[in-house]
Amino acid sequence: MSVARDRARYIGRRVAQAVPAILLIVTLNFLLVHLAPGNAADVLAGEAGSATPQYMAYLRHQFGLDQPLYVQYLEYLKNVVTFDLGYSFRESMPVRDLIFQRLGPTLLLMGTTIVLSIGLGVLLGIFAASKPGSLRDNAISVFALVSYATPLFWVGLMLIVLFAIDLRWLPTSGMVNIAAFYTGWQKVGDVARHLVLPAVTLSLFYMALYVRLMRSSMLEQSGMDYVVTARSKGLTEHAITYRHVLRNASLPVVTMAGVQIGNLLGGSVVVETVFGWPGIGLLAFKALFARDLNLLLGIFFVAACLVIVVNIIVDVIYTLLDPRIRLR
Amino acid sequence: MSIVNRRDFLQALAASSGAVLLPNGAFAQGTPKQGGTLVMDVLPEPPTLASYLSTSGPIGQVSAKVYDGLCEYNFDLKPIPSLATSWTTSTDGKTITFKLRDGVKFHDGSPLTSADVQFTFMDVLKKFHPRGINTFRALQAVDAPDPHTAVFHLDTPAPYMMMALSGYESPIVPKALFAGTDIQNSKYANNPVGTGPFKFVEWQRGQYMRFDRNPGYWRPGQPYLDRIVARFIGDAQTRSAAMQTQEINYGAFGAIPYFDVGRLTKINGIASTTKGYEMQSPIVMLDFNTRVKPFDDVRVRRAISYAIDRKFVIDNIWFGFGKPATGPISSNFAPSGIYTSDVHNYNVPNGTEMANKLLDEAGYKRKADGTRFEIIHDVTPYGDEWQRFGEYTKQALAKIGIKATIRYEDVPTWLRRVYTDYDFVLTSNWYQNLADPVIGVDRQYSSWSIKKGTVFVDDSGWSTPETDRLMKEAAIEIDPKKRAALYHQFQKLVVDAAPIVWVFELHFVTVYDTKFKDLIVSPLGTYSAFNQAYVQS
Amino acid sequence: MNVDANSAAAPVTEPRQPARAWHSHAAELWQRFARNRAALAGLVVLVTIVIVALVGPALFAQGPFELAGPPFAQPFGQFPLGTDMLGRNELVGIVYGARTSLMIGLVATLFATLLGVLLGGVAGYYGGVVDEMLMRLTEMFQTIPSFLFAILVVAILSPSIGSVILAISVVSWPPMARLVRGEFRALRNREFVEACISMGMSDARVIVRHILPNCVSSIIVTGSLLVATAILTESALSFLGLSDPNVMSWGFMVGAARDFLQRAWWLCAIPGVAILVTVLAINLVGDGLNDALNPRLRRL
Repeated sequence: MSVARDRARYIGRRVAQAVPAILLIVTLNFLLVHLAPGNAADVLAGEAGSATPQYMAYLRHQFGLDQPLYVQYLEYLKNVVTFDLGYSFRESMPVRDLIFQRLGPTLLLMGTTIVLSIGLGVLLGIFAASKPGSLRDNAISVFALVSYATPLFWVGLMLIVLFAIDLRWLPTSGMVNIAAFYTGWQKVGDVARHLVLPAVTLSLFYMALYVRLMRSSMLEQSGMDYVVTARSKGLTEHAITYRHVLRNASLPVVTMAGVQIGNLLGGSVVVETVFGWPGIGLLAFKALFARDLNLLLGIFFVAACLVIVVNIIVDVIYTLLDPRIRLR
Repeated sequence: MSIVNRRDFLQALAASSGAVLLPNGAFAQGTPKQGGTLVMDVLPEPPTLASYLSTSGPIGQVSAKVYDGLCEYNFDLKPIPSLATSWTTSTDGKTITFKLRDGVKFHDGSPLTSADVQFTFMDVLKKFHPRGINTFRALQAVDAPDPHTAVFHLDTPAPYMMMALSGYESPIVPKALFAGTDIQNSKYANNPVGTGPFKFVEWQRGQYMRFDRNPGYWRPGQPYLDRIVARFIGDAQTRSAAMQTQEINYGAFGAIPYFDVGRLTKINGIASTTKGYEMQSPIVMLDFNTRVKPFDDVRVRRAISYAIDRKFVIDNIWFGFGKPATGPISSNFAPSGIYTSDVHNYNVPNGTEMANKLLDEAGYKRKADGTRFEIIHDVTPYGDEWQRFGEYTKQALAKIGIKATIRYEDVPTWLRRVYTDYDFVLTSNWYQNLADPVIGVDRQYSSWSIKKGTVFVDDSGWSTPETDRLMKEAAIEIDPKKRAALYHQFQKLVVDAAPIVWVFELHFVTVYDTKFKDLIVSPLGTYSAFNQAYVQS
Repeated sequence: MNVDANSAAAPVTEPRQPARAWHSHAAELWQRFARNRAALAGLVVLVTIVIVALVGPALFAQGPFELAGPPFAQPFGQFPLGTDMLGRNELVGIVYGARTSLMIGLVATLFATLLGVLLGGVAGYYGGVVDEMLMRLTEMFQTIPSFLFAILVVAILSPSIGSVILAISVVSWPPMARLVRGEFRALRNREFVEACISMGMSDARVIVRHILPNCVSSIIVTGSLLVATAILTESALSFLGLSDPNVMSWGFMVGAARDFLQRAWWLCAIPGVAILVTVLAINLVGDGLNDALNPRLRRL
């Protein structure tokens, strides 16, 4: 079908456009990390608590740090092209494997957050917009305003105090009960329990954003010509809202969600730190302080790719929602 | 304990002369029963299991279960038999003959012989071990006249060397698996084969390591535990919670953060101990860069030593886990006579007054705004307590008119600044005295330890010919009394010169589940084999 | 007030008015702003915080790092908000933290705005290849997860007031650039601008005297929201330990107290509330400014 082919071509073009961007990002990060004094050899030797000059020279050689900068850079670029993201000497694992291991929890957290924040945001936005100026509208708006102003880490900590420490309904941190080695449905339940507080924390801010956006978007749409027309044709309010207005009003929300992916990744660094959630946000933070160069660059690379992929998906969803928009 | 035949029984008796009897007099309560799994939290996850190549802190916590050494140690800090059943030293101290235990097998079934000992010390530890290169500098050759005798030939006496023969510090590796290979890249690095009570089973990176009971262990009936699992939990909150819910049974070296220890030990079934670190002996310090103003002046250095309220630091930043330090050598060395407290005392009630006087004397009078001079204080980047310590130091210095700006950098940057560029004036730090002053103390005060680019040696740039001489003589003095006297003189001189402010002796803490018995049975603590640990339900 | 019929898409009114009309223009703006009760409340709170930030340090000259009393003193006792784990006065910390947050928020936003206006303005005015390249650059910056990048910058340059401000500026400018580019593009094609150019007026003059003044309201509104984001970002950086260790900040207070959540949860709660209130106030004021300056786009 030619529409499908158009779409495929569009995606291909977007991916091709993304390559130079990624290259630039990788180069920028490589330069930045090398700007700083100190390197991984220093860290490992430091952890050993003692080191002879021979040992340190050995470490430096192991990490290829005794090579000139441009050689290291070219080595790195060559490897990236073959999806070899290098070796993490701090963790003694290939970077690719390390990231894949930790990507899952982050995607789980982000995915849950997106569903929760968009879902609740859209619902609450519709709810508020259905009776503008009413008590429920005001209550929802105030809630959104306050959530939007609240720092992520603070919400997380306060939720821990209330639900994990005082009420003991939920665990304080981590992703699983670590001694139990659960499998199957038990594991799913265990992870779900641990997921509640981190996901709620991360969702609050974005939900507030989508509520406000959805609400104003709904109100804007309701005043439009096509709604008046539909009403005069005899369609029920219900049908109008859910079949027409909703579709158009969601467009800004979808756009915003796409734009926010980068922020969401940043937010997950904070939330993963507060809750000890074993994702790549926490990994990135630790890699930074361990000067684990390969790992850090690997994470940035994967994160940037993730953002680009999500943006392309969002654009495609956009065209599905509004057929008037052409796949230029 | 299942005794199969007369030979086993006699062997068990011979083994028990040094091993099963707890040297500090506390006997095992009841009869140890077979069974149980110990889950210990190890922080951070070790980068490798090759303890013969790396001295990174967490490695020893697990490697010591797999590898044995020639000796173990009792709480009097004396070596006792392990793989070596006895040893004799020649009168000039340059020849040590070790008799090796009979019937010891590696985990792959091959027998332990003196060839393994020779290979381990000459081809592995002397060449590649970060501390071994220095510790075994006097060792010239190891002879193996018969499979159960190893003769060490030294070019000078080395009394300190006897303290470095544990399975933690100097693990005996099987020659057959390493000889002729690239020792620094062996496949047995993370798949260790030793003679210890537990065999390595698997390592799931980021999750856990598993060690199962070695049924062929040379102490009959031991180990009592079926399995040891080392868990790696990155988050402090999670660790404390796991201890509470008994998901982990054991955490050492700060795995449970200090501020939580008090709360956890109030719970029934959880206890803590500061024993088992007597061969580590960390000291928290403030290091001066004595090459530059104002810390080239001993009066200024002594002033700052007076100004630090050691009790405040111990009580409020490390929650009581420490005791004020008096000098470069820890009071843990008291049993061996090396330690003395008969040195200049900076820990006095009128410290601030003394400090102000000294600074005035040194010519750094207060200006109109009350400050004498300004410095940058580099904080050692190893965690929250150190940040608090830096903030405290800034306030303590402010009280005596020194305006300190705190600089907090990450580990590699800090290491580069302090040990390569020497681009600092005052930094906080901590060194471990380790098993003997030659191994852990000399490196901070000797002229031959001022090595640009090498970490955790002499960063302050201080040394004197007199103290150099004392350290050199003490290193080869085999008479314990004479040796102690040399070190006493050394401590007096160093403390007078105050190139370092010795703030306090840090007490590491081990938090554990009380149903496990006989966990800490030697000054090596977690760095020992856990062969006699058992569960009492 | 004239509205140019050709500019239905551009959210902008007319060219600059002579001085007296500007005065009454301002008064009318204030009236519109004041009608929004929430915005007014936000302004009152914000002004209070600013006063505290300016005057407070003079009242507590000993500074927030002074070890003033016993550690973990409870609030509503000898110390109004208690003391922290080293015995520092929590109230003094809040006062000095206000100064830090506002200062960093304003300065970082100022730099981000300058950069955004410069890049966006050039892109929107000149169009063509320059526009294309600058937009690629902007896109690239928006692809990098901004908080991760900020952490990287601060950690590499070592935490200090300067590195924090730089990091926040560097990740905040893209939205401003996009906005300014859009405005400049629209205005560039307006008749009065074309007229000025054909009259021989230099580019600089056109931009400064005719285009820029018409973007001011959008820039101010976006700027106010950037300040709020900057304060949130700064507090998150401080919480993670990436703040200047010689400067007290609210995020730092929460981060330092995190270990003691079980024991003294108020040490985390109080600074967090301060951040919340400040950011909320700024958001309300920003919304109010938006309504006042762009009446046609006001939300229902």
